[in-house]
Amino acid sequence: MLRLVANRLLGTASGVAPSRPLQNLQRLYHENVIDHYNNPRNVGSFDKNDPNVGTGLVGAPACGDVMKLQIKIDEESGKIVDACFKTFGCGSAIASSSVATEWVKGKSMDEVLTIKNTEIAKHLSLPPVKLHCSMLAEDAIKAAVKDAEAKRAKMNGSSKAADVKLDK
Amino acid sequence: MYKTKQLWNPLSTVFRRLLPTTCRFDPFSANSQFPPLSSHPQSSSRVPPRHSLDFFPDSKFSLLSFCSQSAAKLDSTTKRCWNCVTDAPGSTPFLYCDSCRSIQPLDLSIDYFQIFGLEKKYEIVVNGLEGRYKDWQKKLHPDLVHSKSEKEREYAAEQSARVIDAYRTLSNPLSRAIYILRLEGVDVDEEQTVSDPELLTEIMEIREAVEEAPDSQALNQIQSRMTEKLEETSNSFANAFRRRNFDEAVACIQKMTYYQRASEEILKKL
Repeated sequence: MLRLVANRLLGTASGVAPSRPLQNLQRLYHENVIDHYNNPRNVGSFDKNDPNVGTGLVGAPACGDVMKLQIKIDEESGKIVDACFKTFGCGSAIASSSVATEWVKGKSMDEVLTIKNTEIAKHLSLPPVKLHCSMLAEDAIKAAVKDAEAKRAKMNGSSKAADVKLDK
Repeated sequence: MYKTKQLWNPLSTVFRRLLPTTCRFDPFSANSQFPPLSSHPQSSSRVPPRHSLDFFPDSKFSLLSFCSQSAAKLDSTTKRCWNCVTDAPGSTPFLYCDSCRSIQPLDLSIDYFQIFGLEKKYEIVVNGLEGRYKDWQKKLHPDLVHSKSEKEREYAAEQSARVIDAYRTLSNPLSRAIYILRLEGVDVDEEQTVSDPELLTEIMEIREAVEEAPDSQALNQIQSRMTEKLEETSNSFANAFRRRNFDEAVACIQKMTYYQRASEEILKKL
């Protein structure tokens, strides 16, 4: 269905005047959404067991969507150097998670926690019925950060214990 | 004059029924008790009480208003056909009046289980639904009421649409589960994010497998797994619902939604 919409849009761009009523136009996906759908950025997976990788796995039961967002943390600076996602869901959900992976790159973990779903929704011009997709992306970011921090804490904890043992 | 003649039949039944059971007053008492109504179509409004035939139309409105309280009580508990004013039979849901064969207005207090004559339980025999569904459509379908009044055609459209909705909701286990919970006042929150890692990882794996499935055989395998899982979770739901553990029931519904979604995706690919 999305492809059809994309083609129709392209048709409009080339100068073919559609004769559909105004209401239909409001239901089209925003060009940003179509862009993320056709040229997805950062689709993929990192190794879940890598200590520098935080994985956020969230789902929206009503529409049966699942979203996995992973972030790679730089050990020393604690900043996010890479991110990838895998989402099964509607176009808006896919675009939201794609945008999320783009926005978190290069930021610190504290900074990305301030990314709000409303910003994502605005960037993609999501209609009200799809707002929960952007909420899902925000929750995915938070879950990934939480996982990464837990892993770091564990790592620091175990290394501290190791130092103590060495001292002894 | 024609109008009053038309009203006579239903009027007499109303009158006969009201009089012995509810109203105590005597219709053959002095006419002066009933002021003549200006809205009444009949020309001769002042009729001597002995002419009971003419008396009735005149007194109809005042009679009903006199007994309005008892009449109202009667109306709230028993439904009455708008056309022939017969009482609804108590057993079946009153969508259609069998005496005058007219379709009744929509009554949203009748739930879907009642429409199909089923107990309000989650476990139902799905095969039995189709027969009853077709029986209802034989009476309610809009195509059968082309010659009737606009009001009745409207009723037909609404009733028939509701029966279709009821049939679809009850046939599918997931929608049935959501519906029966809603009847109990529990709504499954659509927008709540779920982060149960076990369930989500499982679903992730299933969806990935569907994406990467090499042929329809592999897809069918996954599909049969999904059907199994759906049945399992459906039974857990029935269990939880019976014990009235609604939190657990909602969790089952969430699982079922995921499995159903995966199943739909497989069908798309096949």
